[in-house]
Amino acid sequence: MSERTIELEVLRYRPEQDQEPFFQTYKVPCEEEWVVLDALNYVKEEMDRTLSYRWSCHMFVCGSCGMMIDGEPKLACKAFLKDYPTGKIRVEPLSNFPIERDLVVVLDDFVEKLESVKPYIIPKEERTVEQGEYLQTPAQLKAFKQYTLCINCLCCYAVCPQYGLDESFVGPAALALAHRYNMDSRDLGRAARDDVVAAAEGIWHCSFVGACSQVCPKDVDPAGAIQQAKFAHGIDYLTSFLPGGKR
Amino acid sequence: MARSAKAVPWFLFAAGGTVLSFILPVMIFTTGIAPALGLFTDALSYDTMSAFVGNWLVKLVLFGILTLACWHAAHRLRVCAHDFGIRADTAVAVILYGLATVGTATAALALVSI
Amino acid sequence: MNPRKPYVRPISKTSWFMTQSRYKVYMLHEISSLFVAIYSAILIIGLVRLGEGEAAWQGWLDAVTSPIGVIFHLIAFVFALIHTTSWFKAVPQAMRIQRGEEIVPGKLIVGAHYGVLAAVSLFVLILAGVA
Ligand code: SF4
Ligand code: SF4
Ligand code: FES
Repeated sequence: MSERTIELEVLRYRPEQDQEPFFQTYKVPCEEEWVVLDALNYVKEEMDRTLSYRWSCHMFVCGSCGMMIDGEPKLACKAFLKDYPTGKIRVEPLSNFPIERDLVVVLDDFVEKLESVKPYIIPKEERTVEQGEYLQTPAQLKAFKQYTLCINCLCCYAVCPQYGLDESFVGPAALALAHRYNMDSRDLGRAARDDVVAAAEGIWHCSFVGACSQVCPKDVDPAGAIQQAKFAHGIDYLTSFLPGGKR
Repeated sequence: MARSAKAVPWFLFAAGGTVLSFILPVMIFTTGIAPALGLFTDALSYDTMSAFVGNWLVKLVLFGILTLACWHAAHRLRVCAHDFGIRADTAVAVILYGLATVGTATAALALVSI
Repeated sequence: MNPRKPYVRPISKTSWFMTQSRYKVYMLHEISSLFVAIYSAILIIGLVRLGEGEAAWQGWLDAVTSPIGVIFHLIAFVFALIHTTSWFKAVPQAMRIQRGEEIVPGKLIVGAHYGVLAAVSLFVLILAGVA
């Protein structure tokens, strides 16, 4: 194992004493195979215990370590130091979110949006336990599987210009999750989600920049999900004016 | 929040974008670049063109392409205006969709009178 | 006293797209619509001129072949290609086709689009050359 010194430029913000964020540089002795999160952990344990950041799993499943690494939103536990040959890495909190402290951002707005799209199955028919489980074929599962992989890391929000410019936009991950349930054969909740999803602040606010899908560490493709949703909700809207259509 | 009527211009934008992606390069070449190169002089002569556009099927196809092109461009320019920081969205929409309506109507009138 | 004091980083509403190359590429796609609009206007005017008689049509042709006309059409042609390639690239995302348990690969869908593009272009060129 060889060691390399990495210059970690971290955006710091301590609300009780700073008026605005500033960069602090740490020279961190790193192992070859480390990720950025390891370097942050080293700083926290050996150099500066006041540094704040979120993490939990260290294996790309919890979604709490999303941050800007050299300007790109990434999971700190998935950003390998060997991919940064210059030895200088700039680490900032996720763009488009208010900074709570250091690398920790305020998530309240996203959590509210997540709840607003009703991210749970609204069943076609209530079944009693005696009636057994809801059956689903592998093909029916395939239709939405990709959209279940989201870990709420918010990398997509950090790169979505439409969310950055106007935070009323429901945004990529929440809309992709709405699509995930709309595509589920057991679900009948599209109409119930229509108010939020098919509002001007919902899918119609997305201009298909596609940036969200480029940075998603789980290949969820929220941009694709939103365009598919535009088609489905658009047809709903048009047919609602036909005789017998649901208004 | 409430369901939005943006579905309507979006469908025109999407249909237009699809049709244009197939037809636009060759159309611009034929009507805009070839004449300067001295190509297709027969096809673009007054007699051939009036006979060609005189066909009702050609009229219909041209009307379809031009209408979709107008509405595709209008909707995308509305998004552009927003992206360039112009936040008077309603005014922008009225102007651009208005222009698209004028374009559609002019194309229809011109085609009918050939 | 509430110790929280979230800091909001400012974003420019008029130049945000200069901050990342993927935003610049996006704006390039969006701006293609300006050329679609102008080109459509030119074509519609051409149809009006065609209806007005031979002299009017010749006038329109002269305008198209003038230096400004040629420069515009060359730029518009480049933007048309930008539109086509970026549109095709996005199709598999917007239109997912599922056959049984398999999602049809995006490459296949994009390839089919280029095939149709070639056929349509050839058809128009033959029409213009033969008619
Ligand atoms: S869609 Fe992807 S980038 Fe967005 S929150 Fe989910 S996992 Fe993260
Ligand atoms: S595709 Fe839509 S949601 Fe994704 S980054 Fe672009 S505007 Fe945002
Ligand atoms: S620490 Fe859990 S995803 Fe990175």
